Amino acid sequence: MQYLVQLLISGLAIGAIYGLIAMGFAVIYKSTGLVNFAQGEMTMITAYIAWTISTTVSGNVFVVAAGAILAAVLLGLIIERLVMRPMLGEPVFATVMVTIGLAVILRSAINFIWDAYPHGLDIGIGRGIVHLGSIGVRTGQIAVIVTLLLLLTAIWAFFRYSKVGVAMRAVAADDRTALLMGISATRVHALAWAASSVIAGIGGVFFALSYDLSPAMFQLGLKAFPATILGGLDAVLGSGLGGLLIGITENLAGGYLGSGMKEVAGFAMIIVVLMVRPFGIFGERDIERV
Amino acid sequence: MRTGDYKQSYGELVALIDSPPVWLWSAVLLLALIAAPFVLNSYALSFLMIILITMTGALGLNILTGYTGLISLGHVGFLVTGAYAYAVLVSKYHMPPLVGFLGAGVVPALASLIVGAPSLRLKGLYLAITTLAFSFIINTVILEMRWLTNGARGIQVQRPEIFGISFDSDAAFTYLCLAIATLTLLATLNIRRSRVGRAFVAIRDNDTAARVMGINLHAYKLFAFVTSAFITGIAGALYGIYLSFVSVEGFPFLLSIEALAILIVGGLGSALGAVLGTILIVLLPEATRLVFSLFSAQMDATFTTGAQELKSMLYGLVIILFLRFQPRGLVGAWHDIRRTWVHWPLRY
Repeated sequence: MQYLVQLLISGLAIGAIYGLIAMGFAVIYKSTGLVNFAQGEMTMITAYIAWTISTTVSGNVFVVAAGAILAAVLLGLIIERLVMRPMLGEPVFATVMVTIGLAVILRSAINFIWDAYPHGLDIGIGRGIVHLGSIGVRTGQIAVIVTLLLLLTAIWAFFRYSKVGVAMRAVAADDRTALLMGISATRVHALAWAASSVIAGIGGVFFALSYDLSPAMFQLGLKAFPATILGGLDAVLGSGLGGLLIGITENLAGGYLGSGMKEVAGFAMIIVVLMVRPFGIFGERDIERV
Repeated sequence: MRTGDYKQSYGELVALIDSPPVWLWSAVLLLALIAAPFVLNSYALSFLMIILITMTGALGLNILTGYTGLISLGHVGFLVTGAYAYAVLVSKYHMPPLVGFLGAGVVPALASLIVGAPSLRLKGLYLAITTLAFSFIINTVILEMRWLTNGARGIQVQRPEIFGISFDSDAAFTYLCLAIATLTLLATLNIRRSRVGRAFVAIRDNDTAARVMGINLHAYKLFAFVTSAFITGIAGALYGIYLSFVSVEGFPFLLSIEALAILIVGGLGSALGAVLGTILIVLLPEATRLVFSLFSAQMDATFTTGAQELKSMLYGLVIILFLRFQPRGLVGAWHDIRRTWVHWPLRY
């Protein structure tokens, strides 16, 4: 029983990280209609920058957090302006392939700039252990779950009530009509890339807090894929919850079926889900006309 | 001077090669390739082998992604399945190499039915992600089936001997690669100009419209998957033999990206494009290294230490630049040049 609870809690914690990155995917998909294959790499860059700040400038929590968020915003804006905006109006296939190219470039750039050894992000928090009854939980694990829930609520409110959120939904639904209504699609896209980069970056920093930074971290992006697919590419909230579900499934499969199964449990799950609901659990079916 | 395409029958429209000069140049190219092993040193020969093997794989992916428009991010899964099928049959059960090659085609083809079946309901990005998932699952399956595949330890593969001819030397193995690559090229060109190929292209252009015209979507999509996986599997077997060692690490996920990069750089949906793209992508790192070493010895040193990173950075950059500035790929550029050449000084 204790083993099960332990698996569930660590599943929730890693699932919350997947959820954050999956929300990053969904925010971009929701406003631009693209899957950003470079999400994992963007997450990784933010985490590495946070680590660099903590080792060179100051280990203060707030300095590191502010620096990481600023870096993530800049990263999102730069990528949108330099790489994605010239592709505006091109077919989806071409644009998605551009993000794959971007992913490859960013990944090698990271290996080029930083070294290939694992690093722990140590800013004095996150590795302490809190005892709930007989079960020990890391503070970082609690923090990431709380952050995910807070962000989920904030983003739900943002898309539901704020003017900008409604504009983003409008651009996603029909960019031409949105343009005619006076919404600047390019600005909405820029905002989406920045927001997505920050949300996923927070996930990356939490990952670095609880586990370690390493060149294999881009796989977080691949792991978060199933979460987005599960929730539906266009469902931001669904993606967040999908992350939790994938995290739990993965940990249960790893705990009871062996470590090989842990790696692929998420992928096996999305194949099954897609067979039943090809547009995700919370996604909307789009009707196609010839 | 050639003033236009005067086609008077359907036979002429679908002919494999429609003008005598193309016959001539194809024959010259083939003869040059046959002569190549006698002329080239072993370093250049290894590039020729890699180009021929990669070309086979790229042509396989071209059937699925280029002709039928089904994006696959998991083609390395078929590659590794083919390599393992060959290695297990030949090295472990001592079957003749021909049986091994047959298995290297059939086993991925069967695997593709498993991936293809759920994919019938999926389109575009969702399909791409399912194939991605497949390639990760297949790696785990291979690592877990230790009794058959030796798990992470991998399998040694010898160069084959077929009909008493030993393909042990590099030159002989190049001929084997050349034969298989040529056969694959002919097969894909013939598929493209047949009823099946036209159905593939119709599905790519608009699957709802294709269905209305009476094309059985499920059958043709599955057929595209099976053919593509068969060819890719054989390329995988060749690559395994080339490496002389088959393991999961030998077939990284980057190969899937490389294959897509080849198709995009060459021009999507064209066999010629796959060939040109392969040549460019395979020779790109080497060409860059040469350019770097021309500038200074110090830059050359940087290239040697960070070779792997720079190589993949180049892939990424080339993909992005081609998509941005020449979305029709090398084939599109070639068509433009040819048109300008023929019609000059007129615009068209």
